[in-house]
Amino acid sequence: MSVYGINKVCWLTLHDKAFRDELKRDPSKALAALPLDDEERRLLLAGEVGRLHDLGAHGFLLSHLSRFELFGLTVVTYSERMRAAKTALEDAAKRDERGT
Amino acid sequence: MAEIVAAFGAPHTPHFPDLVARLGPDCEVARLYAELRRNIQEVSPDVIIVFDSDHLNTFFFDNLPTFAVGAAEITSGPNDGTKMPNYKLRIDAHLAMKAHSHGIEKGFDISLTQEFQVDHSVLVPLHFLTPDMQIPVVPIFINGLCPPLPAAKRCHALGRMIRDMVDSWPHATRVAVLASGSFSLEVGGPQIPHGKRSGVPDPDWCRLVQTRLKMAEVDDLLNEATSGRMLRAGNVGGELLNWIALLGVIGERKPRFIESQLDHGHAYGVWRWD
Repeated sequence: MSVYGINKVCWLTLHDKAFRDELKRDPSKALAALPLDDEERRLLLAGEVGRLHDLGAHGFLLSHLSRFELFGLTVVTYSERMRAAKTALEDAAKRDERGT
Repeated sequence: MAEIVAAFGAPHTPHFPDLVARLGPDCEVARLYAELRRNIQEVSPDVIIVFDSDHLNTFFFDNLPTFAVGAAEITSGPNDGTKMPNYKLRIDAHLAMKAHSHGIEKGFDISLTQEFQVDHSVLVPLHFLTPDMQIPVVPIFINGLCPPLPAAKRCHALGRMIRDMVDSWPHATRVAVLASGSFSLEVGGPQIPHGKRSGVPDPDWCRLVQTRLKMAEVDDLLNEATSGRMLRAGNVGGELLNWIALLGVIGERKPRFIESQLDHGHAYGVWRWD
């Protein structure tokens, strides 16, 4: 599990309007070509940003998903799910342990 | 010979250009930036060295530098959709290349980029401080967002190296320094308040940092600003490293002006010694 693919989806959401539009129109299809494993893909499609953060995705990047209200996220649901996640400090320690 | 003539610290909150456009020049944010702008105009620098933490817009995890110098002739932005004017921004590529080579020579393995755009973190302060964008800049990027962050002492040493580089620059160039960033801010991470995209998890840290800056207690700040402490202050709390690099440039000087907005987790500072 690289986490890179999750961050890349978030980055493309901000920087590639065609990708963003496709994510709105057909999320599964838009994600098809991205380097995601099954769990990452499932969590993205479910808008489980807290879980994605726990996997090591960057919170700042994940916030792009709520900015454009993708995967059913609103500011409120985003904040509720994210507040259940580990902090960047905890995440950094975990990433060091994992070597990712 | 070149000389450092002043230094400035400022936030880069993305919605400030729009906020000030709506509220006008008498609002608090406009007034604070105006104080910095007045000082920049008085010292009239030929170039501004900008310490900045890119927000994964200029760089990404495909190629993520800890330190980088931008040495194109010109750059532009914002490249992140911030609601503000689009700018073309001149770069002093000659001085930027010198910063790169001098850094390598002195043991700082700084990355070099010669084609890039910049995001709001560079352009929001300049929008207020040098709105005609006529003063060229040298952007020096410090990773303040993606752990592992560089150590505070390393960033301070980076600033000292930049001061040495300016001191050895054989041209009559007046150089100002600008640090961009917050002390406590969480954007999109677990420490955001309910129903918000960002928040200030640690106003006490912001207050302490402001005191350290005000009293020029640099060694205390370098010891306190561990990676863990900055991350507890927010997932972009590492932006403090830009201010710490600034302190490396100017030494233990007290600011002529410093004022914080604790509810935003940031401050505005001016250092002058003329």
